[in-house]
Amino acid sequence: MRARIEQLLRRTLHGLVLATAVFSPLVIAQESVVVGAPLPLTGPLSPEGTKLQRGYDLWVEEVNKAGGITVGSKKLPVKIVYYDYQSNTPKAVQLAEKLVTDDKVDFLFSPFGSGATKAASAVSEKYGIPTLAPTASSVEVYDRGYKNLFGTFTPNDSLTEPLADLVKADAKEVKRVAILSRNDLYPLALGQDFEKSAKKRGIEVVYFDKYPIGALDHASAITQLRATKPDWIVITGYINDLILIRKQLGDQKVKPAVLTMINGPVYQEFVDATGALSNNVTTATWWHPAARYTSEDLFKSSENYTSLFKTKYKDDPDFTNATGSAVGVLLQLAIERAGTIDRDKVRAALVAGNFKTFFGPLSFSPEGYANSYVPPIIQVQNGKSVVLYPKDIKNADFRLGLD
Amino acid sequence: MLSLQILINGILLGGLYSCIAVGFSLVWGVLNIINILHGSMMILGAYTAFFAYSQLGIHPFAFIPIAGVVLFIFGYGLQAGIINRVMGAPVLITLTLTFGLNLMLDNAMLVAFKADYRKVTLDPPLGILELGSLLIPIDRLYAMLLALVLVGCLYAILRATKIGRAIVAVRMDRDAAALMGVEVKQIYAVTFATGAFMAGAAGCLMSVIFPISPLTSNAFLGKAFVICVLGGLGSMPGVMIGGILLGLLESFGTLWLGPDFSTTIAFVVLLTLLMFRPTGLLGKRGFE
Repeated sequence: MRARIEQLLRRTLHGLVLATAVFSPLVIAQESVVVGAPLPLTGPLSPEGTKLQRGYDLWVEEVNKAGGITVGSKKLPVKIVYYDYQSNTPKAVQLAEKLVTDDKVDFLFSPFGSGATKAASAVSEKYGIPTLAPTASSVEVYDRGYKNLFGTFTPNDSLTEPLADLVKADAKEVKRVAILSRNDLYPLALGQDFEKSAKKRGIEVVYFDKYPIGALDHASAITQLRATKPDWIVITGYINDLILIRKQLGDQKVKPAVLTMINGPVYQEFVDATGALSNNVTTATWWHPAARYTSEDLFKSSENYTSLFKTKYKDDPDFTNATGSAVGVLLQLAIERAGTIDRDKVRAALVAGNFKTFFGPLSFSPEGYANSYVPPIIQVQNGKSVVLYPKDIKNADFRLGLD
Repeated sequence: MLSLQILINGILLGGLYSCIAVGFSLVWGVLNIINILHGSMMILGAYTAFFAYSQLGIHPFAFIPIAGVVLFIFGYGLQAGIINRVMGAPVLITLTLTFGLNLMLDNAMLVAFKADYRKVTLDPPLGILELGSLLIPIDRLYAMLLALVLVGCLYAILRATKIGRAIVAVRMDRDAAALMGVEVKQIYAVTFATGAFMAGAAGCLMSVIFPISPLTSNAFLGKAFVICVLGGLGSMPGVMIGGILLGLLESFGTLWLGPDFSTTIAFVVLLTLLMFRPTGLLGKRGFE
């Protein structure tokens, strides 16, 4: 009996070995490049999640139209596996792991924002998956010595330093700044960087406070802020916060020489929802349709990217749309340079950097954030976004005061 | 003077909060349904006001009766067609049902209106009332006054009309009301629809004040919850007092501890109150 069982087991084993030998070329043949993308498609961050998805989809459409990514001598189409993490960071981490273990994706795009990116980066590191972060600018995201995370955004101080320079140079009367930040990783880190940049230039920080996520009213915080008589007010948060705060600043006739709000004023929704109150609000962002980069990627230039986006979506691209497409072209260029989808080689290509993209020249610091381009400073003037800085794409002069 | 401005901010905010909560409190108090749909119905009302203003130029405040009637019909249909089927079931069943309906309504609105934040920007704006150094935004003032009028009207209807007395009777004792000839199921539908009317009206007021998106419904629902517990279930004066108290707590919480703790202090007071008065401030008296 025992001999018969052993014989049966031996035969089964031989069969399995034979089947593996016969079918393994079919199993391992790579037919497409699969990227996993957890996105906040529902919940409070869904506007941003949807914007990122539009950026990804445009890249996928264009790359597949051209036959796919060139990998050595072949062209492989791209497929993105999306999961909605419902603006819930722990769920983003779970889904990133599911994408790696169940869906067997080749690469990952990070979830939205610094907080979720940092949380999910542990998964990338655990499995050694090169991961491109489209919307993580806080240096705290990159401070754990991880080798697989590459972000398209320059750090927060690359926004705050030029803005503080501009205010110092063009708004001589500014001596006092008030800062109100959403108590959330990125907006708070940004507020703290504004505090440093202001102090460095001798501008007194007369108010610094945080408001909670989901706050429905800011009237009393604004009453206190107004009492400190600031010449420059900086508000950090997301678009819903900023629409409400801009309205409530108007309700209390708060009219500093300079009002800076990040992130929000670059979106048309902000201008539509605040009307004339949007005028002269300054902001900074990582990309703007006024950018004039020529590139080696499939979009060829910033202008051409803007034109393709407008054709597909009947809308101007904003920086969130653009960074979504930028992580796509970045991954494509890295794979094409590596000539393989082997993760170690693609990672090495990303580390080497020096990519000329429509989003700007992209290279990365040893920590993994972009350190190779100057983000533009924007002001809303007559309901339109204009560029104040850098000089090569500047198309308007800085206006002081508020309507 | 700073404290006086904070007091005004708190009262204005509290008036809006009361309006958010009144329909929710009515439905919870009478039907014993925790209507998770309430925030989404408010957002639906806000969207109707937004489009009425942007497409037809109808002022959101003037649109209140129309939005209210639209939501009344929607609420009546929902209660009569779906929710009445599970009336009398444990509260968890109705909670789950309204939770599911809320998911459907939220997602339908996401598809129809997108997730973008919108707000009615009045042109010309209503301006600001200046009393010395005190500033009162007129849109908030009108919204608060209208909210008080709406709550007052509802209170009067419940006290002085036949249907209102029937609603109160059902709340007090469903079986006794049925024995007195009250059509309980119909009263349920009318009550739910009245709650929906108030949600639609509140949405019109909020469309001028807050950025609106299908995603904001839960924030409003959360406030409604707190106000009902604070003021006492089903009590109209309780809702008014609860709303204004919450507005004041959040405003003075900001002054005393900073904006980050404004909601914390409100919840600490709520929990403390519940330890000594679990029915809320006016919950015991109800409608009688």
